[in-house]
Amino acid sequence: MYKPRHIIDLIADNVRKTRNPFGASNSTINKWWKDTPIQREGDAMLFTGLMYQLVPYIEKSTRYLERYEDSYLANYVRFGKYMPKFLVGLAVRFLASKEDKQKFNGMLHSIVKILTKSSVDFYYRQELDYYSGILLYDLGDIDGFTNHARFVASTLKENGVKKLVTVDPHTTYALKVLYPKYTGESFEVKTYFELVNFKGGNGTKQVTLHDPCFYGRYLELSDVPVKVLENLGIECLTVRNSGQFTSCCGGPAESISPKLAKEIGDRRIKDLQATGAPIVAMCPICMANLRKGGVEAEDLSTLIARCA
Amino acid sequence: MALVDPEFTEELERFGVDTTLECFNCGTCAAICPLIYEHFPRKMIRYAQLGAKDRILENSDDLWRCLHCGLCTHTCPREANPGELILGLRRFVIANWRGTANV
Repeated sequence: MYKPRHIIDLIADNVRKTRNPFGASNSTINKWWKDTPIQREGDAMLFTGLMYQLVPYIEKSTRYLERYEDSYLANYVRFGKYMPKFLVGLAVRFLASKEDKQKFNGMLHSIVKILTKSSVDFYYRQELDYYSGILLYDLGDIDGFTNHARFVASTLKENGVKKLVTVDPHTTYALKVLYPKYTGESFEVKTYFELVNFKGGNGTKQVTLHDPCFYGRYLELSDVPVKVLENLGIECLTVRNSGQFTSCCGGPAESISPKLAKEIGDRRIKDLQATGAPIVAMCPICMANLRKGGVEAEDLSTLIARCA
Repeated sequence: MALVDPEFTEELERFGVDTTLECFNCGTCAAICPLIYEHFPRKMIRYAQLGAKDRILENSDDLWRCLHCGLCTHTCPREANPGELILGLRRFVIANWRGTANV
């Protein structure tokens, strides 16, 4: 286990300097939109919160953290500037493989396809798409989170943003529940899968859907994707512990203890594999943690887009 | 030996926790917690109720094992919000590290 204090200070410092947890510029991390023409004006802004884009970096850096956990090197995290180049600054841009970046950017392309097919009047402005700060909130750095969230909320308000379409549970929770409470600013927040309005199919008959904690419990949205998939002719098989009683993938522990994250993840994977059907995830953090346990889950967005 | 501070529950309100005394220590949270680890979070809640600040600070690293998955909060029979209490204790510990606890 890493010293939480070192990890928190490092992440808080990165968010302060670069507005994301990795200390690289947002423009380095957020490039998915370059391959897709999207209008810059419209009714609702697509707000990715950079989570999908960050996963390839998270995967790589936590793999390093895993290697050094419980070794004397773990203590060097506090000297962030010198030692763990994998966690800070420029080095980060060389971390993630092109293949991984394409894979996760592809999920955002799928979401664009889904929204277009559903005739949603949406737009994207990469310069307004910020990391929500949710990791700082989860780690208990309430001052760091509040400062960052106020900056993001006021930037969005100043630019006339009222409606947001979100793509992952953590950003959705931050924008929908935490921002009104901690910044005083409210937005109309909907996830992309709440906006799917087409039927169809792609030959997939059954899947195993892993509910993330934040959709299942905190936001109580689990029924929505099940219904969407039903309309596409896809049945979600019953998983031991789902909906409001879903089991954590272990991902949230990855920055403090990759070992713990793996242990919890392996247990969840057993539940999911018991159904025998392909596993589908709808949170980039879950996706990455399942992948570490050897499960290549398909993202909900890719599955729906294949029916569009 | 730990010092007990009956005012601590009030102090915790500044960190967003107002349910510290709701808990009657049934242990449902510890039983359902995916960590399955030394009576977590029950033990921490007990420390908070007693105001055993030293114990909380000594064992503070354990607070960050919590996944914030919300299962304990969802199943707590007293609606004592154990998950949010752990989050509040993290805030308390960070404020102590940064020397902003009494500001």
